[in-house]
Amino acid sequence: MNKKKTHIIIWLLLIAVLLMLPKWADLYYTSFFLTFAVFAVYAVSLNMLLGYTGLLSFGHATYFGMGGYGTALALKNISGLSLLPAIGIGVLSASVLAIVVSPIVARVRGAAFAMIHLALGMFMYTMSLKLRRYTGGEDGLGNFPTPGIEFFGLFSISMEPSSTNFYYLAVTILGVSVLLMWFFTKTPFGQVQIAIRDNQKRIAYLGYRIPHSRSIIYITAGLFAGVAGSIYAVFHNLVSADGQFGILASFTPILASMLGGIGSFFGPILGTGVFMIVEEIALEYTSRIEIVVGALLVFVIMFMPYGIMGFIYMLRMKWASRRTGDLSKEAAA
Amino acid sequence: MDPITAMYLSQGLHGLTYGMILFLIASGLTIIFGMMGILNLAHASFFMLAAYFSYEVLRITSSFWIALLVAPLLVGILGTLVERYLLRKIHAHGHLGELILTTGIMMLILGGVMEIWGTSSLPVPVPDSLRGVVSIAGMYYPTYRLFIIGIAMLVIVLMISVLYGTRIGKIVRAAVSDSEMVNALGINVPLVFMFVFGFGTWLAGIAGVVVAPLLTVFPGLADQIGMDAFMVVVTGGFGSMVGAFVVSLIFGLLNSYGIQFVSTLAPLLMVSFMALVLAVRPQGLFGVIEDE
Repeated sequence: MNKKKTHIIIWLLLIAVLLMLPKWADLYYTSFFLTFAVFAVYAVSLNMLLGYTGLLSFGHATYFGMGGYGTALALKNISGLSLLPAIGIGVLSASVLAIVVSPIVARVRGAAFAMIHLALGMFMYTMSLKLRRYTGGEDGLGNFPTPGIEFFGLFSISMEPSSTNFYYLAVTILGVSVLLMWFFTKTPFGQVQIAIRDNQKRIAYLGYRIPHSRSIIYITAGLFAGVAGSIYAVFHNLVSADGQFGILASFTPILASMLGGIGSFFGPILGTGVFMIVEEIALEYTSRIEIVVGALLVFVIMFMPYGIMGFIYMLRMKWASRRTGDLSKEAAA
Repeated sequence: MDPITAMYLSQGLHGLTYGMILFLIASGLTIIFGMMGILNLAHASFFMLAAYFSYEVLRITSSFWIALLVAPLLVGILGTLVERYLLRKIHAHGHLGELILTTGIMMLILGGVMEIWGTSSLPVPVPDSLRGVVSIAGMYYPTYRLFIIGIAMLVIVLMISVLYGTRIGKIVRAAVSDSEMVNALGINVPLVFMFVFGFGTWLAGIAGVVVAPLLTVFPGLADQIGMDAFMVVVTGGFGSMVGAFVVSLIFGLLNSYGIQFVSTLAPLLMVSFMALVLAVRPQGLFGVIEDE
């Protein structure tokens, strides 16, 4: 009961801070936070595959980019379209692509899964460069209109990407996405995913159809990556092959998840925050973000393979065992 | 020979050249994966690094043959060090850790190369002795491409004779099928692993040096050819040398005839082929389903 109360207080505080942020902080910090929120949702969606199903995707940017390009193309080509349907179109196109791809990828795992996605990501990257007529090639798509949200023609809210209104909309959509993913992993279905990760054969014997349930979580992960990508596209008012489908777009969420710890739901969010701060500092010294990402990846896997959350967990276990009089050592002796 | 046949033949030879380059890279990947179960994502980066090394050696010595000797060796040594000091320590964390680590190395090499040599593409000249064309049954074909096919053949023959003709080859093959047993027999398997990893990167290094005059040297090299090589390994079946060879040739031919007939869709052909194979056989053409 008491714990529940503190939880409610923490949530209320969090919401209050999110609401007040544009009032307190200037544009730089709100933008920084919004970028963080986008990449946090993106990383959590990747971790639904990586942490909960044990599937490492090297091409998750496929869905991130699909969401972005879907929304950008819709805003550019359909005149009079309101913002929410445009975001919806982006999310839908990412989900549809995931549905199309899922029958093939749900059957493989491990290295093959990773490699197929590397190829898929490269494929999307190449296509976005080659279909110049629709995607703008190397220039990408920019300067598309960001219409306001209309309420039955009665009144409309302006949604300029740098405005406070857009900030509230984006934070709401991204926050709801995180909550939905959180509940999704807590359902019996989400728990079955963890069981499949740990012992695929036994779950198959229990009568679960593994490719089917894996497809569903795959499509869900694609959908939420699409949400993140779509918001990101509107926010920057630009989509490009390198930014949406590039190799860094695929590896950033993996790094964030590894850094935060793939064993926990909130790990990727923490990892995204830490990575963005490290990136901000490191870019003072080098202009090659690849070096920063590469060095961080090697460092994390060599010295902190379970990420920051794993490190905290280990410290807590040590502290707990000291308090209980080192039961483990006695048991070993 | 009439021009149509000549055209088909020369496109076929183009395909064979590309297939052989792919196989040089894919065979290293395959031998490392087959023996150690490691999918080395940095493999294509080592290939690119060798191309840059060869550019640098050529600039200093201006001899292609020294570059062919030195650059792969340097890359091979680097690969050996990576195995000894990084990969070996995280072997316990399973596939995920290895994928992440090799990804990190890939990024480091990519960033490093751009930092040192910049992002523009650097020209590497074809060696004088291999310049010009050869006449085959009335058809002219560049000597250098034939040289690539020749050197790849040489490496394949060398590899087969080492694997099947020597004691070391026997140990390697035994370690591929059951490394624990070989370890128990008193053979230093980690040492063998280290050399196999070095050998694999050396193979990629040779490919890097011979590709440099053909495509010039640029930071996208690893993505461009490495991706095809990875697709070869996935399609052929992980750890299957025969699969890697067959699919390398198929991809090479798909690429060259694809460019001729459906030029804009040529890159799609290989991806479609891979998707088709994996839809029917998820383990790849010659792969076996791994049992856990």
